Amino acid sequence: MDCRTALGKIVAKADGLLTRQDEAELADHLAGCPACAAEDAAIAATGPALRALTGIRAMGKGAALDAMGTRVRAGIGEVRETRRRSSRLARWVWIPAAVALAVSALLFYPAGTDRSPFHPSSFDVAVEDVESDAATVALVDKGEDLPRVIWIIEDAKT
Amino acid sequence: MPKPDPRGRAGAPALSFFLLLLLLAAAPSQAADSVTVDVGAVYASNEGTSIDPALGTIRGKLRSMFNYTSYRMLDRKRRSLSVGETGEFELPDRRSMRATPLPARGEKVRLSIQISEGPRNLLTTTLGLRRGGMVLVGGPPHQSGVLILIISAE
Repeated sequence: MDCRTALGKIVAKADGLLTRQDEAELADHLAGCPACAAEDAAIAATGPALRALTGIRAMGKGAALDAMGTRVRAGIGEVRETRRRSSRLARWVWIPAAVALAVSALLFYPAGTDRSPFHPSSFDVAVEDVESDAATVALVDKGEDLPRVIWIIEDAKT
Repeated sequence: MPKPDPRGRAGAPALSFFLLLLLLAAAPSQAADSVTVDVGAVYASNEGTSIDPALGTIRGKLRSMFNYTSYRMLDRKRRSLSVGETGEFELPDRRSMRATPLPARGEKVRLSIQISEGPRNLLTTTLGLRRGGMVLVGGPPHQSGVLILIISAE
């Protein structure tokens, strides 16, 4: 095996792609070639070094990640509090609206007109005097449970 | 310790508010020395057989007292008047009614009523009735029937 082939197999070995037979042939070559052995050692050390470096970088950013987590939790809490406050407000906001409606109903209720049906409580009416300049007037009384009627007869029209 | 029901906390002021509204509604709207005069102008005729539901409980009484088949409320006016104060109520066909509460004792109401058609005095009367009482004044022609005025005082 020449050094060029050995270099390719050293990379394949680092990637875990080498067969046992190739690995044995490479070991034979490395035993007799200090340059390739040094290259193999260097490449084999690269993986752990990269993992260590990633770990170190992650540790360095840990504080920033913690701060970001704190900010996110605080933001969630703030949104919840705002929603709670607005829901509390929505629970009470109808009261002044209802009061305003009731007051305006009392103030602007049409006092001159009333469309509620008639419900008289008594038909007991005393007619103290009746007179007319232009008609004949008749007082009709048909019983206690019926209203008294004053009937105006205009020139025999009715 | 049991937690108070939040719905209960929200319901208490609402209940108080409705109670206040009920109190306002139940409170007498008029002072004792004033009279609310309510005048409804009803067109009674033999055109159709409908009876206006706005006539309330007196629909049957109108039917039993008169020979008309149709009763329609044309207008209704209500005015609160102090004793001695005259209120004018416009009626159909250029007629008008003037009502003046007179001094009365207890729950009685005395009303001086004058109904006129232009310069003609159709009726002048003085009525004594209980608060909530009612009297009918009818006869003036209107279209193909007559007008019946429902006068009540509270």
